[in-house]
Amino acid sequence: MSETLLKIENLRKSFGNLEVLKGLSTEIRKGEVVVMIGPSGGGKSTFLRCMNLLEQPTGGSIIFDGIDIVRADDSTKNRVRSEMGMVFQHFNLFPHLTILENITLAPRLVRGASAASAEKKAMELLELVGLEDKAKAYPQQLSGGQKQRVAIVRSLAMEPKVMLFDEPTSALDPEMVGEVLDVMKDLAKHGMTMVVVTHEMRFACDVATRVLFLEGGRIAAEGTPAKIFGESHDGRLGEFLSKVHVGTDFRDKVKAELFDILRDHEVSEDELARLKDLLVRGTPAK
Amino acid sequence: MWQAICDDFYLCFLKATGDGSPRAMYLLRGLGVTIEVALAAIVLGLFIGFLVAVVRSSHNKYGYFSFLNAVSKVYLTIIRGTPMVVQLLITYYIILKSVDSKVLIAILAFGINSGAYQAEILRAGIESIDPGQMEAGRALGLSYWRTMLKVILPQAVRNVLPALGNEFIVLMKDTSIVGYIALIDLAKGGDIIRSQTYSVYLPYLTVAAVYLMLVMTFTWLLGKLERHLRSTGADPVHNDS
Repeated sequence: MSETLLKIENLRKSFGNLEVLKGLSTEIRKGEVVVMIGPSGGGKSTFLRCMNLLEQPTGGSIIFDGIDIVRADDSTKNRVRSEMGMVFQHFNLFPHLTILENITLAPRLVRGASAASAEKKAMELLELVGLEDKAKAYPQQLSGGQKQRVAIVRSLAMEPKVMLFDEPTSALDPEMVGEVLDVMKDLAKHGMTMVVVTHEMRFACDVATRVLFLEGGRIAAEGTPAKIFGESHDGRLGEFLSKVHVGTDFRDKVKAELFDILRDHEVSEDELARLKDLLVRGTPAK
Repeated sequence: MWQAICDDFYLCFLKATGDGSPRAMYLLRGLGVTIEVALAAIVLGLFIGFLVAVVRSSHNKYGYFSFLNAVSKVYLTIIRGTPMVVQLLITYYIILKSVDSKVLIAILAFGINSGAYQAEILRAGIESIDPGQMEAGRALGLSYWRTMLKVILPQAVRNVLPALGNEFIVLMKDTSIVGYIALIDLAKGGDIIRSQTYSVYLPYLTVAAVYLMLVMTFTWLLGKLERHLRSTGADPVHNDS
C-alpha cells in the first residue's frame, strides 16, 4: 500500500447558504490517478479546488504532509500550494510574460532558483512536450492545446507531489484534446499522482486507477474504472453513465479479459446470451 | 500691421523687466515650474494611487485591510468631491501654512489630488484582470502579494494606460491654477506679461500654444509606450486565452 498523500475527512464547503460539499472523505495515495466524474454542480471542481485551498473549506479536514492544511496559516498554505500543481480549464497562462518566463517565474520566486537553472529545467520540460521552439513566444501566439501543455509544464517545474486537473480539455477544440491527454497519460505512466476532474470518459477508463462519482456534494459511487464503467448501475450513476458514451474500446478490453477467464469454465447458453447482451449493449437484458 | 506685431513681440518678450532679463523669462521660468510641479505630482499620485488601489481591490475581493479601506474611501470621497482650486488654497493657507516652498506645497496638493483619480483608474484595471490569473499564481505557491506584484499589476497597468495618460494630461493642465497662491508658472507668467504690457494677444496665445505642445508631446510619448508594449506580444487586452 503506497503512502497516503492527501487524507480528506468529512470535507464540507458552503457558499453562503448553499452547501456544495456535504461531507466528503477519501484518501489520495501516491501514484494513484483519481478521476472524478459527475453532473455539473455536483461539487467536483469545488472539491478539487479545496484540495489546494483555492477554496477554503467550511468544515472537515485535509491532512497533507502530516498537517491539517484547512486550519494552517497563510505561509503554510502557500508552501502546500507550491507542492501541488494545478491545471485549469482556461489555462491561465500569464499573457505579459513569454512561455519561458511563465515557467520560470514560480521556481525563481518561490524556490529561489537561479535564472540559469530555472531556464534549463524549463527547456527540458518543454522538450518533453515538444514545445521547445515556443520558449520565447507569448501565450496568445499559441493554440489552445499548446497553451494547456505549457500550463502543465509550468506546474511541473515546481516538482509537485500531486497534480490537480480541473477539466483540462473542456475548453479545447476536439482535435487538440488528444495532444493534452497524451501528456497526461505520459505523466501517469511516470508515476505522478493525479486527481482529474473531466468529462473525458475514455481517459478515465484508460488511465484512472480509481473513479469517483460525485453528485449532490457527496461521493455517490467509487471504484475502479472497470467497476464504474463496466457494470450496470442503478440510480443517479446509472442515469449519468447511460447518457455518456464510453466507447467500444473498453468493452473490447472487457470482452478479451472475460473470454480469457471463462475459457476453461462451463458457461450455460443462458449465461452466455446474457453476457453477450451486456457486452454489446452495455446493460444486461431485462 | 506687421510692424505692430513686431513691436508687440518686442514689448512682451524681449524688453527687459525689473531684474534686467527679458520678459520672455517669465514664460521660460514659468514653464520650468509647470513641468516640475506636474511631473512630481504625477509620480506622487502614482505612488498613492497604487497603494490605495491595491488596498481597495484587495478588500473588495478578499476582505483584507478593513481599516485602510475605510480610510481610503474617506480620502477618495473628499478629494474627488472638492474642487482642485479649493484643495490648493486649503493646503497653502491652512494645512501647510508653515511650509516655505510654494512649489513643494503645489506638488503635494496636486499629487494627493491626482492620487485619488489614479487610484480609481488602477483599481478598475486590477479588478478587470481575470480571476484565473490570481488563481494560477497562488496555485503555483506564490503569495498574494507576489502574485499581485508580478502578475496582476503589470497587466492592470498595461490595460489602463490610456486612462492613466488621460489623467496625466488633465493634471498637467490643472497646474495652471497655481497662480492662486502666487506661484509663477507658465499661465501666471503669461498673465504677468499681460499685466505689465496691457497687450493680450501675444502673451495668452503663446501660453496656450506652449500648453498644447506639452500635451501633444506627452500624448506622442504615451503612444510610443503603448505601441512598444503591444509589439512585444504582451498585450493582455487582445489575448483570448
